[in-house]
Amino acid sequence: MRWATKLRLRLRSLLQGDRVEAELDEELRFHLDRLTEEHVAAGLAPADARRAALREMGGLDQRKEECRDARGLALVDELRQDVRYALRGLRKSPGFTTVAILSLALGVGANTTIFTFVNAVLLRPLPYPGSDRLVILRERPPGAEGTVSVHPLNFLEWRARARSFEALALVQTPPLNVTGANGAEQIARVQTTAELFRVFGVGPARGRVFTPEEAQPGNHDVVILGHGFWQRWFGGDPAVVGRRLAVPEGSLTIIGVAPPGLRIGLMEADAYTPLPIDPAKPDSIGSRSFQCYGRLKPRVSVDAARAEMAVVASALARQYPMDEGYGVFVSGLHEYLVREGRPALRLLMAVVATVLVIACVNVAGLLMARGIRRRGELAVRASLGASRGRLVRQLIIESLVLSSLGGAAGLVLAYGGMLALVTLTAGALTVGSIEPIRLESTCLVFTLLVSTMTAVVFGLLPAWQASRVEPQMALRERTRGGTADRRQHRMRSVLVVTEVAMAVVLLVGAGLLLRTFSRLVRVDLGFQQAGTITMGLFLGRRPPEARVALVDQILERVEAVPGVKAASTIQFLPLSGMSCGTGFWLEGQARGDASHALPTECSLVSRGYFAAMDVPILEGRPFDGRDRMGGPRVVIVNRSFARRYFPGGRVLGRRIIVVWSDEARAEIVGVVGDVRHNGLTSEPVPTVFLLHAQTPGYITTLVVRTAGDASAQAAAVRRAIHDVDPSQAVSAAKTMEQYVGDLLVRPRMYAALVAFFAVFAVILAAIGIYGLIAYVVTQRTHEIGIRLALGASRGDVFRAAFGPGARLTFLGLVLGIGAAWGLRGLVSTFLFGVTPGDPVSYVVAAAVFAVVAIAVAAIPAHRASRVEPTAALRYE
Amino acid sequence: MSKPTDLVQGTLDLLILRVIALEPMHGWAIAQRIRHVSNDELRVGQGSLYPALHKLEQQGWIEAEWAASENNRRAKYYTLTRAGRKALESETAQWERLAAAISLVVRRA
Repeated sequence: MRWATKLRLRLRSLLQGDRVEAELDEELRFHLDRLTEEHVAAGLAPADARRAALREMGGLDQRKEECRDARGLALVDELRQDVRYALRGLRKSPGFTTVAILSLALGVGANTTIFTFVNAVLLRPLPYPGSDRLVILRERPPGAEGTVSVHPLNFLEWRARARSFEALALVQTPPLNVTGANGAEQIARVQTTAELFRVFGVGPARGRVFTPEEAQPGNHDVVILGHGFWQRWFGGDPAVVGRRLAVPEGSLTIIGVAPPGLRIGLMEADAYTPLPIDPAKPDSIGSRSFQCYGRLKPRVSVDAARAEMAVVASALARQYPMDEGYGVFVSGLHEYLVREGRPALRLLMAVVATVLVIACVNVAGLLMARGIRRRGELAVRASLGASRGRLVRQLIIESLVLSSLGGAAGLVLAYGGMLALVTLTAGALTVGSIEPIRLESTCLVFTLLVSTMTAVVFGLLPAWQASRVEPQMALRERTRGGTADRRQHRMRSVLVVTEVAMAVVLLVGAGLLLRTFSRLVRVDLGFQQAGTITMGLFLGRRPPEARVALVDQILERVEAVPGVKAASTIQFLPLSGMSCGTGFWLEGQARGDASHALPTECSLVSRGYFAAMDVPILEGRPFDGRDRMGGPRVVIVNRSFARRYFPGGRVLGRRIIVVWSDEARAEIVGVVGDVRHNGLTSEPVPTVFLLHAQTPGYITTLVVRTAGDASAQAAAVRRAIHDVDPSQAVSAAKTMEQYVGDLLVRPRMYAALVAFFAVFAVILAAIGIYGLIAYVVTQRTHEIGIRLALGASRGDVFRAAFGPGARLTFLGLVLGIGAAWGLRGLVSTFLFGVTPGDPVSYVVAAAVFAVVAIAVAAIPAHRASRVEPTAALRYE
Repeated sequence: MSKPTDLVQGTLDLLILRVIALEPMHGWAIAQRIRHVSNDELRVGQGSLYPALHKLEQQGWIEAEWAASENNRRAKYYTLTRAGRKALESETAQWERLAAAISLVVRRA
């Protein structure tokens, strides 16, 4: 009660300063008036009486100041005294203080880091107005998992029929070749219907957006520049609207500039051009290869839209054969974009939460040990008249000081951790809103709450216990272990076992992820990544013969560059995330429609591709100069293809018809090794290689094998290309090693983070074990002295001190291994090449922990065995 | 373990507590009362009275309430709290011990 009153008064002086001030004024004025009255009664004239009274009071303002001081000082004084006392107490036990602050800092820092990160990636909405109404629509094919891109006909139907959406936009992202003073370049382009900017709820930074007419067929040579590209290419020219953007085919009129930070899905486009759809012939621009974004009407939920689209889909399925069995997938855009990162971030959150629990358990154990040590002190002070409230307040202040220091250190750690994490995850995250990461106020509050709660709760434990013990008892028990001691000792043992078990779980997880990573690094991709450089070539609107000739000339020039060993092209590079599925018929097989063809992946390459990528030729020959456009059609298949479709039989010389290649009959002239085209963990799939020189494509990627450092050759290769055609655009060069590196970013991140936190956890648990045993040894110095004096050997003493630590560690290990086994399902999705029950990881984790635990338990045990009996017996 | 206070300050606290133990009083009345009861020996200056009152209020020993004064003006009346009553007891006991001790020394030394 008294506390509550005091607190209220203090808060009042602090928060309601104005009112307190007014009352003070009134109170003193009252006094002044009474004094004046007294003087008047004594016979002075009113004015003189007033002056006399003021003089007597020595000035109102000075009096007020004194009262303010009295109010403030009472508060500040006691607080300062308590804080000073707490700091002195903490300084007196530097070991305890350091370890406690470090534990709190680690736990809090790790959590703030990951919390901020998760907040930025999973929780922070997309940076557009009403972004919760942004959705993505895709098609759901029959009889298959997942979703596919949208057909333009369906887009038109959806737009005409669905009532849930304020706007729908169809988007495709073919690159755009531009030419400028600094040469030609291939830039990222979004081709879109007019509604795109309405869908994203943004207007142009300059100029205008597309009109509906510009989304109709016709020659609309207009472009909206991406904000970044406007800065880079036009130096942010404020008068850029109306200027022209040069492209190989002529030029486009710049009608506007997109706002900064606009990302269509994940893509930050350099340019936006209209996507004209002919309502009479919508598939003239392509089939299921478009992205569809929508904005829901206000108060329409995603579920409602999904329900409506299900109805629309079934109507379309009845109307169009191509939609038979197809459904519509509708998802909030943000949710869709973060879907891949979500499980990993959840795992990380679980890991850091565990670290936090371990840190708290550690601090709890430390505070309890300290509490026992101080019980005597508390008892003395209680018997000298300190009220329980006073003791509690001091313990709270001490805990607050401790947790503030820990929290502050944690924030510093979190800041560093954030920077490290941003570096570590660059490229590993799907959502772009990651760059402006900063510690947010929510995180700050979270941090301080966690650190403070822990410290206060466990800091008060000794006070609570002290209050249940009579001072005399406590004084008597001060030096030797009493019942309360034993109870506390048991509790601390439980805490240590918990810490150990959790640390072991993290160690096992880290082991599994590290082994996964080492498997991934050593995975055989089927080609040699070292020394290979790649760059994209968009061949543009040339006739087929010109596209063949251009690639031939470029390859000749590039091969002539010194240091280049081989050069070729492929439509979609392995590991680039792109592939092209198609089907084929065996010669002699009845040719039905495309849906009856045998499935195969298809790659469009130039001669020399297998040499450039160092893919082994298993049978037959590679493509060479003989294979020309007019000549006999040839294809090469990979080993999976040969095994699956010609098991045990002859492959070379067989003829097949590939759906994709204008369906001409082609002879298989070679079999090559398998490549993990779709990623490090992807299984090779049957693939047929077609020749660019016979079926030229538009999009292609140059692959150059060099002697030595590949990236050093990039400029020379680019010059060689421009020697052939100065207007030919080339995308930025990337080495195959970079592609592989990109794929390793995520597994590396998981493994590194979990290993990092596991090491934290082990350190914390080790501190816990050490602290417990060291404490017991200190408590029993006297007893040890007696034992030694009575003839116990130093080995006996060592064993007696070491034994309990070993037992607790063993118990924790067993529990931890069991828990890890029980939780193994949680990590299974992140593993490759190891099973979640991988015995090596478990054994190594247990062994590592056992070694650490034995080492830290041995230190105090050894110290115990070195005790001098005479000194120990003198010890209180 | 309260902090050391100088004698005058501590004594003033005791006087204030004792005076308002009888009935709620405002600052002016407290000063007058001390003066009258001490036969004009103790004159409490405003410079010490009001800071002391505010400090005691912050300590939770007295609490204040605004009420009409005898000449019908608003004045701030101070009352003892329960804690204040306890404090008064212990302070009185302490004062009596101290006074007795001092007078012993003064007489016998």
